[in-house]
Amino acid sequence: MSGEHLLARTDEAQLFRDLSRSNQVTTWRWFAGMGILALVLLWGIGVFVYMMTTGMGVTGLNRPVFWGVLIVNFVFWIGLSHSGTLISAILRLTHATWRAPILRAAEAMTAFSLLVGALFPLIHLGRNWRFYYTIPYPNERGLWPNMRSPLMWDAVAINTYLLGSLTFLYVGMIPDLALLRDNSTGWRRKLYSILSLGFRGTHAEWRRYHVASTFFAILIIPVAVSVHSIVSWDFAMAKVPGWHSTIFAPYFVVGAIFSGIAGVILVMAVLRRVFRLEKALTPLHFDNLGKLLCTMSLLWGYFYFTEFLTVWYNRNPEEWEVFRSYGKSFLPVFLLMITCNFIVPFPLLCLRRVRRSVPAIFGVSLLVIVGMYSERVLIVVASLARRNDPFIWHNYFPTWVELSITAASFAMFTMLYMVFSKIFPIMAISEIKERLFHTTERAIGNATAEAIARVEEHGEGEVK
Amino acid sequence: MSGVVVIGLFDGVEKAARAGKALRSLPLPAGNITTISGVPLPDGAVCEDPRPIRFPRVVIAAWFVGALAGLGLALATYLLYPLITAGKAIVSIPPTLIVTYEIAMLFALMATLIAGALEMGLGRFKARKVHDPRIHEGKIAVCALVEPGDQARRAAGALTEAGGTEVRVEEGEL
Amino acid sequence: MKHRWAMAIDLDRCTGCGACVVACSAENNIPVVGEEEAAKGRLMHWIRVNRYWEEDSPSARAVYLPVPCMHCERAPCEIVCPVYATYHNEDGLNAMVYNRCIGTRYCANNCPYSVRVFNWYDYKWEKPLDEQLSPDLSVRSRGVMEKCSFCVQRIRRVKDKAAEEGRKIRDGEVQPACVQTCPPGALVFGDLEDPDSEISRMFRDPRRFRLFEHLGTEPHVVYLKRRKGAGV
Repeated sequence: MSGEHLLARTDEAQLFRDLSRSNQVTTWRWFAGMGILALVLLWGIGVFVYMMTTGMGVTGLNRPVFWGVLIVNFVFWIGLSHSGTLISAILRLTHATWRAPILRAAEAMTAFSLLVGALFPLIHLGRNWRFYYTIPYPNERGLWPNMRSPLMWDAVAINTYLLGSLTFLYVGMIPDLALLRDNSTGWRRKLYSILSLGFRGTHAEWRRYHVASTFFAILIIPVAVSVHSIVSWDFAMAKVPGWHSTIFAPYFVVGAIFSGIAGVILVMAVLRRVFRLEKALTPLHFDNLGKLLCTMSLLWGYFYFTEFLTVWYNRNPEEWEVFRSYGKSFLPVFLLMITCNFIVPFPLLCLRRVRRSVPAIFGVSLLVIVGMYSERVLIVVASLARRNDPFIWHNYFPTWVELSITAASFAMFTMLYMVFSKIFPIMAISEIKERLFHTTERAIGNATAEAIARVEEHGEGEVK
Repeated sequence: MSGVVVIGLFDGVEKAARAGKALRSLPLPAGNITTISGVPLPDGAVCEDPRPIRFPRVVIAAWFVGALAGLGLALATYLLYPLITAGKAIVSIPPTLIVTYEIAMLFALMATLIAGALEMGLGRFKARKVHDPRIHEGKIAVCALVEPGDQARRAAGALTEAGGTEVRVEEGEL
Repeated sequence: MKHRWAMAIDLDRCTGCGACVVACSAENNIPVVGEEEAAKGRLMHWIRVNRYWEEDSPSARAVYLPVPCMHCERAPCEIVCPVYATYHNEDGLNAMVYNRCIGTRYCANNCPYSVRVFNWYDYKWEKPLDEQLSPDLSVRSRGVMEKCSFCVQRIRRVKDKAAEEGRKIRDGEVQPACVQTCPPGALVFGDLEDPDSEISRMFRDPRRFRLFEHLGTEPHVVYLKRRKGAGV
């Protein structure tokens, strides 16, 4: 039954070179890309400073739409951060072995989209330079912040999730950092020596590392669920028709996981192409991610229909006016959302042909990202634009200021990712090797199957 | 721990397992034998780790400490700055629960990092730890902490007999 | 000495002239934003006069509803401010602390009456218009929320005077700018703690209703329903 495991047949040095190609070679294309993105980012920062010194009037905000694209960006980026948590933590806990090549990129995506998302509550403040009023530290002002405010829950939750996911990313990288340390020279070796903290791979270290990784996975999932619930409560706690709904917490969490998986697919497809990781990221991985995306699309549709149904059936005047506007002023956004979130993705993702084709699933994921963005636009803007008092109803459209800052946020995320892929291992090499170590090929009659051994707690092996 | 470390490289788990068995029968205590490998090996495959893993208790304790800290933060803020908002009670319970939970999780996550790293012996840059970078080429290093002199020679002999290459005795710790 | 300031608006008397809006803007250093900004929905009026049409026809009658800050007992704006820039004070007023505000604008989103306004820019009063600014209250910087305060500077002035003279505040002594100016006398202001005040009487009037009463905000502003029906 044992047979030779796949790792024994692999040239580990070659595997390392293949998987860490991003760390080894830097072409002019990387510099050119970084240059363009840096320009976009600097432009965005300049526009932000202009907004800060001139006033929020340069945006398209008004009464009653006091929150617009900047808050949509906040929810969007925090939503994207649920990618890594789901894939890394849940797949780790359920022993899904196909997760290995996806882990690192997903966890990095979580950390960076959180970093970008956490900036937006600071960006959209009227008096940004006084943001420190929200920090409870001893001061002479005679006041601390109001913990009853959902914005303070945001502060605490996002802080916890940010620190937690950065730690999760870092701890996940330690064995790979040790691997890189042993295979590099110069400043890189020094950097990896410090970051790997002297990890070597002794038996005692591995056992404790496994326990620590499991603990991280167990702890980060409830944090992720609570974070996006709390972000949703920024809206659900308000007396705004269309916001004040009990379904918001699970609805937002589902939406976040939905957009997060789409984001991971996009990132994986790009990485696969740029760093020629076709052997590690196979159609199987996209197939599995596609199945998850399909499920989330269905779940999203289910939650949305439920919310719509209750409002439509009851015709509470205040809420109904908001929903009626979906068919009038906000019809383009509504159609975009429904098409890109459900009507196109769900049937397509049911097809194996689409899931296994990287360009096809890339396109579908892009649609999902667009759809989820417009969903948040609809939630934030439409409810405010058609709220309680019809006399002050007013439409909203973002100005070049908000669009510049949005573009800069995408640039910042991409730049963070590009720098990360240069310095750190973009593939969880140790996890991939571990999977190969546990995998043997087993003959069943005339067919061959892959058998993956899973080790139980007390050291007794059991073939799955 | 006084002593020296004898280390040898092996191609594959089967050979390393033979070496591990040989070292145990020298005799050497199980806690003094370990492997260094690029992938984690099941407990008992080559060597055993008899020491219990303690840091989860620290994590659980940290969760409760964090919960108290969060509770304290929320209550202190309410009671030291009692301002009426929306006619709600000064000490509002649901927001207190949210803040308590988040800070508890934060403390637990940080404790996992710090206590886990400490228990793994990470971060001790000054310590001379035995290591061989060739484990990343598919080799498994089997090492044992031994008394210098006779025991070291016998251990080195056992490793060579089991098929080890580059068997050597080094100063340092496991 | 406890007070509970409140306002009543008699819709039988309101003609929709808008004098209250002008008086409020003059009293409270409210900038005039200009036509372009007004079209973008950036008016800074602390009290506004809502105008609704009774039906969708050329001969429809207009219904006027002056909307100041309701100073809700259960103000939804107070609880969502992360920095306690707005809270409920002992006189039953919803207090706004400009220099504490960091401009998250959550309070404005949570006000169902949309009475809160935001300083989208640093507004300037070109000379000699700066001479009209009242020294009793500040000129707000950009990025800060503001709203009707029931002319708290006038309340304070009367309270100080009464304390100096060692007497209670007389009914009708405190008059916010809008109440003072209203030509038909549609606006009435006073202390609910005084059971004999005119405001207490109006709060017991069977015509009274509160705006968006079903939301449970318990506003301190009541409206007296218009007795005149359509066709009169």
